[in-house]
Amino acid sequence: MSAPILEVSGLTIALPPGADRPNAITDINLALGPAEILCIVGESGSGKSVLSSALMGALPRGLTIASGGIALNGTDLTRQTERAWRDIRGRRIAMIPQEPMAALNPSTRVGRQIEEVFEIHGRLTPQERRAEALRLIEEMHLPDPARIAAAYPHQLSGGQCQRICIAMALSLNPDLLIADEPTTALDVTSQAQVLKLICELRDLHGQGVLFITHDLGVVADIADRIAVMEKGRLVEIGAARQILQAPAHPYTQKLIAAVPSFATKSRPRPAVEAGACLQVQGLAKTYGRTQALKPCDLVVERGTTLAVVGESGSGKSTLARLLIRLVEPTSGAAMINGQDLAKLSGAPLRKARRTIQMIFQDPFGSLNPRRSVGDVIARAAALAGADRASARQIAKDLLERVGLSAAAYARRPSAFSGGQRQRVGIARALAMRPDILIADESVSALDVSVQAQVLDLLRELQLELGVTIIFITHDLRVAAGISDQVAVMKRGEIVELCDTATLVNAPAHPYTQALIAAAPGRGVI
Amino acid sequence: MLSFLSRRLGGMALTMFAVSLLVFLVLEVNIDDVAAKVLGQFSTADQRHAWLLQNGYFDPLPLRYARWLWGFVTGHWGVSTYYHADVRDLIAPRLLATGLLMISTLAVMIPIALTLGVLAGMRQGSKLDRGVSILAIVTTSVPEFASAVFLSAIFVFWLGWLPGVSTLAGGVTLNELALPVAVLTLSSAGYIARMTRASMVEVMGSPYVRTALLKGASLSRIIFGHALRNALGAPVTVIMLQIPWLLSGVIVVEVFFAYPGFGTLLYQASINSDIYLIEACAMIGVVAVVVSQLLSDVINTWLNPRLSLALTKAAPPAGASAG
Amino acid sequence: MKRYLRPTILIGAGLVGLWVLVALFAPWLAPFDPLKSLSPLALPGTPAPGGGVFWLGADLLGRDILSRMIYGARPVVALSTLATLTAYAVGVTAGLLAGYFSGWIDTALSFLANVILSFPVLVLYIVVIVALGPSPINVVIAVTFASAPAVFRIVRTIAADLKQRDFIAAAVTQGESTWRILFIEILPNATGPLTVDFCLRLGYTTIIIGALGFLGLGLPPPAPDWGGMVNEGRALAFAFPHLVIFPCLAISSLVLGLSLLADGLNEARDGQGRGS
Repeated sequence: MSAPILEVSGLTIALPPGADRPNAITDINLALGPAEILCIVGESGSGKSVLSSALMGALPRGLTIASGGIALNGTDLTRQTERAWRDIRGRRIAMIPQEPMAALNPSTRVGRQIEEVFEIHGRLTPQERRAEALRLIEEMHLPDPARIAAAYPHQLSGGQCQRICIAMALSLNPDLLIADEPTTALDVTSQAQVLKLICELRDLHGQGVLFITHDLGVVADIADRIAVMEKGRLVEIGAARQILQAPAHPYTQKLIAAVPSFATKSRPRPAVEAGACLQVQGLAKTYGRTQALKPCDLVVERGTTLAVVGESGSGKSTLARLLIRLVEPTSGAAMINGQDLAKLSGAPLRKARRTIQMIFQDPFGSLNPRRSVGDVIARAAALAGADRASARQIAKDLLERVGLSAAAYARRPSAFSGGQRQRVGIARALAMRPDILIADESVSALDVSVQAQVLDLLRELQLELGVTIIFITHDLRVAAGISDQVAVMKRGEIVELCDTATLVNAPAHPYTQALIAAAPGRGVI
Repeated sequence: MLSFLSRRLGGMALTMFAVSLLVFLVLEVNIDDVAAKVLGQFSTADQRHAWLLQNGYFDPLPLRYARWLWGFVTGHWGVSTYYHADVRDLIAPRLLATGLLMISTLAVMIPIALTLGVLAGMRQGSKLDRGVSILAIVTTSVPEFASAVFLSAIFVFWLGWLPGVSTLAGGVTLNELALPVAVLTLSSAGYIARMTRASMVEVMGSPYVRTALLKGASLSRIIFGHALRNALGAPVTVIMLQIPWLLSGVIVVEVFFAYPGFGTLLYQASINSDIYLIEACAMIGVVAVVVSQLLSDVINTWLNPRLSLALTKAAPPAGASAG
Repeated sequence: MKRYLRPTILIGAGLVGLWVLVALFAPWLAPFDPLKSLSPLALPGTPAPGGGVFWLGADLLGRDILSRMIYGARPVVALSTLATLTAYAVGVTAGLLAGYFSGWIDTALSFLANVILSFPVLVLYIVVIVALGPSPINVVIAVTFASAPAVFRIVRTIAADLKQRDFIAAAVTQGESTWRILFIEILPNATGPLTVDFCLRLGYTTIIIGALGFLGLGLPPPAPDWGGMVNEGRALAFAFPHLVIFPCLAISSLVLGLSLLADGLNEARDGQGRGS
């Protein structure tokens, strides 16, 4: 490797007193060469964001550099004044943010925002700035640059906003580019395009790229070298191929094992009587003039799992909400063991509701912050017909079953982590002993290792209780790992419906093929 | 934009209609009370009966309301029982005086409140921030008549710099406006400063301000180029919505300083049970509030590109997808 | 619990508690009968005929100002609290219904609230008091009428916002009854902002009741009323400032206490991160 662009030696950043550990990051050592992509992998709490903030001289209040050095092409970044930093930021180091639309000023046109980089660093006349901005937008493969430049951020899509942010970052050809989870907020196809763009630009301009992510699939696709962080420490660093194929550190091994892949293994079937649990015929929903769900048909066998895969706007959430009757269908019917919820009302509806229950996406919004988790589960059991005493007992038993202790009964949701709250959500859903469980993006907000545990739990429960599962997700890899049957949705309709093995190995519809091709990390993990 | 305005105007008209019904019902549903108030407490039952008959008060309620509303819309607002003059002639000059007072107050209060709020929000947690918050809490806790008393005690009684009353007998002078404006400013500046501060704090913590920082922008560029435009939207709305509250304060302040405005007129009407004058004043007060709400909506829409573009129905670029 | 022991809350609670106690124990605390005329316009500190001292002086009709201030706390505390409580009862119920059900209930209630809120507050009070006549009950009615829409709006926004949260959807999908959803799932999550608003609203109400007294539309004389005392003493304030300064201090300190309490509670809540 030729002379490194970035050298971090023994960097330790202290947290303010009272935090859960003394240092945000401890003794970090790494080096980045020109035209090289170094991926920093870690889950939440690993300290990767603090590292990137430190590299920009923008640590949050309360955090200080306790020891160590950062050298950018020889310049010591730990000893710069704020004025010097203003020159460095944007010109020698640039950052691509995690949430592109929020990172752009909502009341300024995006072209102006790109031009601002040139304004700040004092080069070029106004006409030259405008011309440069247009040229950059074009380089990002955005069509019709003049119209894009005149747009406001909310008029563009997430992917387009991200390319504007990349254009801003690259405008002065910095030596170091820090990409902090730049594709996490994008859907799979946009993500693939942005990753391709970053690699292309790196080849063209030769800057060093520090790519921070939690998604090992992404890492597999673009990294030259990988650094793994856990709880503020660098546990492993080395060439990408080496780390992915023969990880040395147990944490890295755990991370790689937890990544969902397309390798479908055969799974044992629960012992239930055969037959269709769910039958959907012509179910559709229209909001005003928009058809959120076009008429669709489905059959799900008892004790199996159907995955519904699609990007945002595909109609998968609408389908879930129709099945559980949170919204009324415009037409069609959904029969759960022969009973259509949409045709019931009043007391019979209340009784019938227990046959289908949902586990929600947001672990922070799905539990009432003011009630203890035990009460929430017990109430669900009571609504299904249990008396007070047995409801409490059911709640305690379920808490144990999902991997929490019965002592958790009296605690409030704020005492639990995201993964634990999802387990409570599962327990709440199971308290009614439903025939069907809908998991609406239930693992999307979780770290990869926690995600794997929750998926395992769902598999176990299906085996034990014979419950039918409908699993909604945007991640085809997760869907492949847990389902027997997959429905792929796009713009409100089901474009492909078949068993998982067929879908993964020989997808019929072009959209499915595109999704599989765009899924990061294929073939490497 | 035009359809938005016409929709809002329609809503305003409906509100005014409901308000007029409310005012009419509250004040004129009991006709004996009306007669007693108009003719005075020494009138006899016969006199009242004759007057009620003569003025159409024995007609059914809906008819009376329709007549009253029509009279209102065409500018016939009745005669004041206390002043023995046409209500409309009484109100006009008073409205002018109160308008002057309100505008002077806004001209003083808005710059002070916005500046304090922006400074406090920029340096969150600093001594300035704490100071502004405490000052705001204290000033909004003191009722207008109490701050009028305190300010008068200092500037009229102790220092003797300003006159104790502001009757505008010799025309409008700065001296006479000073204390009323000061009292009104004190009572509303605090709240607006705090709202501005909150908005500023939120904007300073936003991702796009961080982006500007990471582009290498200086503090002044961040404040003037990015933060202010987005932070001032909320305070502007708050200011417009403070106007109803200011109108209440104006009544107390005018009475205290004997300022010949709309407030003192309403006050006189209320202690003399001057029904028709009260009705007219109430309706005008409501018009002022409703107009200020409309203005607030218009300004808000103009400031926020998201709203104004939605209203003018600019189609999003063809490339925008949900992803 | 510790975070509730901040200075703003302690000072605020102290001030409010002080006046509540004064109101409760007025007959034992006041040195004189507030209605008895003794020595007109006595200055603060002069002794009274028949024993005792006019600590804060006497008013135009010779009544002890300190005693009138102490007794004056009673209507203020009682009426403000009662009025705000009834405004809350009405506003919370209406707000929950409107925010949760949306649709025509929301449109109708919101329209009604907007109509009432179109009145400058004092104008509305004047209209109601002139129509009903000045008396304590009418003051409570007027205040409830004028404050309920503001409470309605706040609760409605909170309810509409909470309605979007998944735990409400969970309750619906489990067949929970609507009343339980409104009062057990939604309302407890609004107690934070509502407590803060309650303190602030008590403050506004106190100010308005004071203003009504100042305008002569509050309690009829000779009842001791802080606003009324300022009104009576205004003409002579130049020579006898004690007539007006002390009632102003009384009302300002009570409202200040309420504002500090509200602010302190708000900060304590923010620090907690609001449970998510």
